[in-house]
Amino acid sequence: MAQILVVDDSSTVRNEVSEFLKKSGLVVSTAVDGRDGLTKLQGDPQIKLIVSDVNMPNMDGLTMAEKIRSELNNQTVNIVMLTTENSPIMKERGKAAGIKGWIVKPFKGDAVLATFKKLAGA
Amino acid sequence: MTAENSTLVSKVLVLDSDDAERDNIKAFCDANGLVPVKAQADNALAVLRSNVDLGAILLSECYSECGGIAAGRAIHRVRPELPIFLRRTATPNLDDFSEADQRVFRAAYTSDTMHLLRDAIGVSLFSRAYPNALVRGITEVTKAAIEGQFKHVSVEHEAPCLVKDRIIFGELFSMIPLESSWCRGYMMLQSEEQQLLSFLSTEAFGPSVEGEEANFREINNLLGETTNMVWGAFKNRFIIDAPDSNRLSQVPIIVNHRHRYISFGSEDPLLCVKYRLHDRRDASRESIVLYQWFAFSLAWSPDKFKENLPSVESLFDSGELEMF
Repeated sequence: MAQILVVDDSSTVRNEVSEFLKKSGLVVSTAVDGRDGLTKLQGDPQIKLIVSDVNMPNMDGLTMAEKIRSELNNQTVNIVMLTTENSPIMKERGKAAGIKGWIVKPFKGDAVLATFKKLAGA
Repeated sequence: MTAENSTLVSKVLVLDSDDAERDNIKAFCDANGLVPVKAQADNALAVLRSNVDLGAILLSECYSECGGIAAGRAIHRVRPELPIFLRRTATPNLDDFSEADQRVFRAAYTSDTMHLLRDAIGVSLFSRAYPNALVRGITEVTKAAIEGQFKHVSVEHEAPCLVKDRIIFGELFSMIPLESSWCRGYMMLQSEEQQLLSFLSTEAFGPSVEGEEANFREINNLLGETTNMVWGAFKNRFIIDAPDSNRLSQVPIIVNHRHRYISFGSEDPLLCVKYRLHDRRDASRESIVLYQWFAFSLAWSPDKFKENLPSVESLFDSGELEMF
């Protein structure tokens, strides 16, 4: 049972983010793309926050967010994108899918930890 | 050589046995944006193999006891993509050569007709203009991306150079398409696996899971994520409009594992930047090298190049959470 789901096709990023959050006392699980993220979320109702990349194989992060709201009908899980993308068009698409926040990589854990804890209900 | 500016240069291998002429060529190179790389007669092919970013070869007809023409044929046999410019003693042309030998050499010149070499270099190497803002921006975003991914390193880069070589020799490549209204092609990072592995063997350098040793998969991921970071920053800074979707041509990319090279198929000079990563905490450690290649092999319209002005959105620093 995890509080936070980290979704990124790069194991480098998955390890970096999840190790930081675990050391900060949070329970974390990981997924390798948007499709895997949907599966992991369906299997774990305790997940309160998803930290996801945008550009991933099989299913991108924005499509995953849209499917969480529409197909899974989950309106409560918080979603934050962690990505190299900084385009206003993509951010607008994210907002429309009910995304809470946007981080342009690199990941700076200390800068976001308090907010992540709040969003994860920790 | 370290240059933190955007001036483009090209490395040339100088094969000339005459000391006075070598000085002459050095002065010519200094004046024409060329970086001379010297080689002795017995190690020219080794230098060719160890320099992946050469733009051309300046060869003397009298090189190695007047074996210059034979040397040119041998080089052309193994590296036909590299233009060879031949310094002759009598006539600044190739008219007396056989057709086969005329194909070996791109142009001829004498020490009294260096302008012919300058013109030939201009056509062959500096035929493609890269906007200064682009070259400067590339090195800025790439340094930031490398320093973000490789912990505790400082990064310096050599002057960005033009490489007239259809094939890129190397071992480990990570590449990603670049698509915009003014450019289409690929950005690629290149390195050596063992170099990276030894660099990452110290825990302080690795983003790897604690207690686990780095292996080639982690190297792949690290190089891939660095490529991703550069790509994202490049898009945010330089890509404003998408390409016309009705005009998206493609060409095959050749990867040859036996001979360890990749080719984008373009005859145009590639843009190459060599980055050197230093351990900030231990100056005695050997630095490692990353090459970055840009092959705008599918479309190139520098007249349409634009740099993104900072928007309100981009005022958020990287790594900061922008709440909606």
